[in-house]
Amino acid sequence: MSARAWTATAMGFREQRRRPLLLILLIVVPAYVVTRSIAITEPTPRRIGLPGGGTVLTTMKELHGAIMAGTAIAFVAGLCGVFVMHAALAGDRRLVLAGFRPGEAVRARLVVLAVDAVLVVAVSLLVTALYFTPASWPPFAAAAALIGLIYAPLGALLGAVLDKLSATYLMLFVVMTDIGIVQNPMFGDGTPGRLAPLLPAYGPTRVMVDGAYSAPFHATGPLLLSLAWTGALLLAVALLLRRAVATRG
Amino acid sequence: MSAFALAGGSFVRVHLRARLTLVMLVLIPAFFVLIFASVLGQFAKALGGTMAGEATSAISAGWAAAFLCGALAFFQVSSSRGADRRLAAAGLGALRVALARIAAAIVLGIVVSAVAFATLWARSGIAHPAHAAAAILAFALVYVGVGALIGSLVAGPLEGSLLVVLVFAVDVFSGPSMTSSGGVLSYGPSRDAATLLIAAGTGHGSPGGDWLAVAASVLVALAVALGAFWLAARSRA
Repeated sequence: MSARAWTATAMGFREQRRRPLLLILLIVVPAYVVTRSIAITEPTPRRIGLPGGGTVLTTMKELHGAIMAGTAIAFVAGLCGVFVMHAALAGDRRLVLAGFRPGEAVRARLVVLAVDAVLVVAVSLLVTALYFTPASWPPFAAAAALIGLIYAPLGALLGAVLDKLSATYLMLFVVMTDIGIVQNPMFGDGTPGRLAPLLPAYGPTRVMVDGAYSAPFHATGPLLLSLAWTGALLLAVALLLRRAVATRG
Repeated sequence: MSAFALAGGSFVRVHLRARLTLVMLVLIPAFFVLIFASVLGQFAKALGGTMAGEATSAISAGWAAAFLCGALAFFQVSSSRGADRRLAAAGLGALRVALARIAAAIVLGIVVSAVAFATLWARSGIAHPAHAAAAILAFALVYVGVGALIGSLVAGPLEGSLLVVLVFAVDVFSGPSMTSSGGVLSYGPSRDAATLLIAAGTGHGSPGGDWLAVAASVLVALAVALGAFWLAARSRA
């Protein structure tokens, strides 16, 4: 990493440090949503389908904790993506005019976005751990990280093509529909419907459910699908940002 | 045309000119009601609440209007401070700029509420349509106050939108008939509007006290919004 790229990254973090409210909210929003959802949910029995074809009898309370962590991560990481992209489009072209390579400016933005996503994932997992112990932590934690890594660049893409208001609306709607309803085993017969694999959170949510309720790993397919979504979205954001900040002529 | 009407009309056009924003203002409440109404009963039951059937369809319309209007009012205040100050300094005055902003927010709130109401009616019918329409609009106007207040306190768009989401989450989790737990957190900003809307959705009229409570919460929200818009428009000199 060049000195210029370090400088741009350091400036990105300095900008975040000057906004203490943002850091507080990145912690408080997922912590509140996960804690409150677990605290007020009744321990009603619920049978759900697991990846690999098995079923397990759990409670709504446990299930809600696991799923709300994913919902909180997706929404906060997605909003971070929207506004990091807006800030990049507003300011990074000037950096490039001042002599930075587009890749250096873009890398700095992506590092800041990744650190925001990691913070939100860490808080959500910590809070979840207070109330719920998954059968296997590695796939559960990996799924939470993958949700952040999918929704942060998805938010960035929305931020690139929509204004702030439209992107915020769409982010809430997509997260609530995808993770909150379509992938959510709390609803329907406890397994995702036929159209669920078309949405971005299908893979990580199935990995999360597998990690929550099964010690052996059965979600190789959903894991590969999650990695494909993550790679494709990150690549799309990197290319879009690079093109957006590059100077013409 | 008076300067006030001209400014108010322009504030509405700013949002409606962005085609995608207009599309979102129409589509999201409609989809919200169509998609979420089907699962909200199960959700409320999981939380130990008693809400079911038509009440869940009705409340989904109120929440759609609330979130859209909260975010809209936040961005109205946070992203137009500079322009509003210049308008006020150019002779319109901070109070008239603030009144024009409130008028624009109310017009947009009516648009969002009308879409949510029409979708609700088309989906499941409404036993008390006039009561439901008033309650959905009350959700929208209460959140105009919430969004504007956050906009006057927080400049950053990410921080502000996260705060709107946080208030919305607190409100949703603590809504009447959504949960069996009580406490301080059971008094969210849209509680009175939700009580009215649930009653309208289940075919019951509401007593006068409920109407007074809703009217009071809307008036307080609009007064807060007026103060926030005025603060944003007033010159610092």
